[in-house]
Amino acid sequence: MKKILIFSILVVLSILGTAQVTRVITGKVFANENGSLQPLPGVNIIWENTRQGTTTDSDGSFSISQKSNQHMLKFSFIGYEPQTVHIDREAPLEIVLKPNLEIGEITVVQKDRGTYLSTISPIQTERIGGAELHKAACCNLAESFETNPSVDVSYSDAVSGAKQIRLLGLDGIYSQLQTENIANFRGLATNFGLTFIPGPWMESILVSKGASSVLNGYESIAGQINVEFKKPDSQEKLHLNAFASADGKTEFNANSNIRLYKDMLTTGVFFHAENLSNRIDHNHDMFLDHPLSTQVHLYNAWKYNNYKGLMLHGGLRFLNDERQGGQIDFREDMPRTTTSPYGIAIDNRLAEAVFKAGYVFPSQNSAIALLTNAVTHSMNSYYGLHDYEGDETRFYANLIWTQDLDKNGFHTLNSGASFFINNFDEILNQRLMDRKESVPGIFTEYTLKPSDQLTLMAGVRADFHNMFGTMVTPRMHFRYQPDPRWTFRLSAGKGYRTANVLAENSFLLSNFRELVFDETIQEEAWNYGVNFIQKYNVADRDLIISAEFYRTDFRKQLVVDRESSSQQLIIAPLDGKSYANSWQVDVRYPVVKNLDLLVAWRQNDVRQTIGGELVEKPLTSRHKGLVTMNYTTNLKKWMFDYTVQFNGGGRLPLLPDASLNMAGMDTEFPSYTIMNAQITRYFRYWSIYAGAENLTDYIQKHAVIGHENPFAPGFDATRIWGPVSGRRIYMGVRFTLNYN
Amino acid sequence: MKNLLIILAGCIALLTASPSFAQKTGDKVVCFKSNMHCQDCANTLFEQLRFEKGVKDLKIDHVSNTVKVVYAEKKTDDGKLQKAVEKKGYKAEKISEADYAAILKQAEEKPAANHSGNNH
Repeated sequence: MKKILIFSILVVLSILGTAQVTRVITGKVFANENGSLQPLPGVNIIWENTRQGTTTDSDGSFSISQKSNQHMLKFSFIGYEPQTVHIDREAPLEIVLKPNLEIGEITVVQKDRGTYLSTISPIQTERIGGAELHKAACCNLAESFETNPSVDVSYSDAVSGAKQIRLLGLDGIYSQLQTENIANFRGLATNFGLTFIPGPWMESILVSKGASSVLNGYESIAGQINVEFKKPDSQEKLHLNAFASADGKTEFNANSNIRLYKDMLTTGVFFHAENLSNRIDHNHDMFLDHPLSTQVHLYNAWKYNNYKGLMLHGGLRFLNDERQGGQIDFREDMPRTTTSPYGIAIDNRLAEAVFKAGYVFPSQNSAIALLTNAVTHSMNSYYGLHDYEGDETRFYANLIWTQDLDKNGFHTLNSGASFFINNFDEILNQRLMDRKESVPGIFTEYTLKPSDQLTLMAGVRADFHNMFGTMVTPRMHFRYQPDPRWTFRLSAGKGYRTANVLAENSFLLSNFRELVFDETIQEEAWNYGVNFIQKYNVADRDLIISAEFYRTDFRKQLVVDRESSSQQLIIAPLDGKSYANSWQVDVRYPVVKNLDLLVAWRQNDVRQTIGGELVEKPLTSRHKGLVTMNYTTNLKKWMFDYTVQFNGGGRLPLLPDASLNMAGMDTEFPSYTIMNAQITRYFRYWSIYAGAENLTDYIQKHAVIGHENPFAPGFDATRIWGPVSGRRIYMGVRFTLNYN
Repeated sequence: MKNLLIILAGCIALLTASPSFAQKTGDKVVCFKSNMHCQDCANTLFEQLRFEKGVKDLKIDHVSNTVKVVYAEKKTDDGKLQKAVEKKGYKAEKISEADYAAILKQAEEKPAANHSGNNH
């Protein structure tokens, strides 16, 4: 109640705190032509990040009114270098613009595409922006990838509601999940991290494939997913979102930006609450289709920008997530014996503090940045008769120094040092697992960008792990754009990660077999990739074709073996080969005006040595197809979205003891199709959306094997390859109020 | 097969859902010369005008600084739309459709490089 009160006060303050004072700034703009100053007429002048502007008169003079929250004035004119000036006095200004020898960049104005395929970054990157995030109505990061061809999201098991992503056909643990460039929602949060990031809080998601920059650490093998939250100094004053689905899930989100001192000191308050308390069992296996859950999540972000090069960013987060699943008759107060119904419960409590600082030196060719976060996470759970508890604390700091090596910025060096501490304490039944990691590291990365056509980036880092010794991580990227229509990219790099044996595999506990595992190991892999993007103008619209191939080769890996023993699930280090090949082609084209179409196809070949034999990784689809259509009316008042995912079949693991395999159990799972649709109606401040996930109500049959007796041999709720919950019809409403 | 049919139905639904924006009887066009200068400003104006009563189609261009509005004559008039533009702090000088076309043509002939911005 107190929290709600504080929040309401902050909201009210934010609405009141906008009284503005106006004064008039005058001045004159000159051009520096070979040393002599000439008045420059027609120069565009605009307050940065606003729509207020003017132009200079025939004698180069101008006057413009200034409100209290405006102090950066931007001057631009064709053929001259743009200049931004901080206005702190009322005295008349004298601005001198220097001729720009290079021809200015050309901006192409287009419909907000939602997803943006970068052709500038040397790393293959897709940006999922605000428009795309609106296509998945809710609720969290896991659902934001529904319309994305590169990232697959699937259920880990049939009882916990945990979802995992796959990038390049590899499990989510091999992609580094970051929030605002800091690795986050890892360790104990691995299985639920995706459901811990509320959709309405996100500004954008960056998905980059293959080796990433060495600046962010030695992890990330298949790629990186970076979530940017809404910024405290953005235009959004207040945003509310309420959501409800026919199966009883409700959700409420609110965030508000408050300008405490002009737009220099700002704060953002974020609130998220969700609840699902309907017991639903559509397939009548006496198991809940999804667990009952309650989540409360608070986040407060601070930003200070003095507009003279210094930027500070701080944040605090609190998260409480409780879920309970298993058999429909299970209640949390029941004794946990084999005579009671089967139940699971997972409680997560997490707190995080973030601090970041950046400073650009006045010379503009060097900068320094510090990124730190500290997290404490405690988790309590049980799966049937298994008890699993964990505590994790971690601290991370990364200091990066950026230096342009020449005047033109053709050569840039990013160097720095990082430090990482991770304390893990876990107990599974009576067994204790703890570890303390402490990893100082240094890195350097050289970027050569002699022109817009070419970028070469080569980086290396050395990390000194207290348990695993020195790790050397080289990574290389190359981008070549011979013509604005064609972009080629090559990448190669190494990655390491400490496997969290239990935290990553805890969902395997809803299984009758004993989990057998040893101490943790360091996983190690190489990744190589090629990517080719083509852009053509067909019938006055952009046709974009992207083709890629990535290969990941594991040197060391922790492999889950479901097939060698009928009594045990064995998690052991790889002995032999393990690799993943991924081919993908995407085509994006607005087939008719305002109708964007995306067609994508991916082929995965993921193989591991399991029980001495190189076999296809079980429960992994061999291919995926995606068709998304978005129709937005001329005035963007209506938006229609429709998505079809085709998931190819794959291999299913069987038990060596045939008598335990259920009659008719296959060695292959079938291909299946999932459809989602949504309609959004925008009003000036409101928007309403309604839609359906999994329209055709496709559910994996026998999701819980041996559901009749969950305490007997044969029980397995982890042999999951498809959706475990059916059609979800939902509706929601958003309200947005902006500054200006 | 059933799935395929549903996909097909979905496609058709999407395609036919597109209302026609052709100018119908009762619709009127008004053009303004303005002073936006930047894409952000054009966006702000778009946000303002698209929810004005009676507005059926919009074309806002910051390079030529022009605004063209198609609207239902019964629901609004030139003056109200002019006020809506001015409300956001921009000029709205009414011009004829011929003048509008001329300004637009002139702007297109200039080199496109004059409005630089970050190209990501």
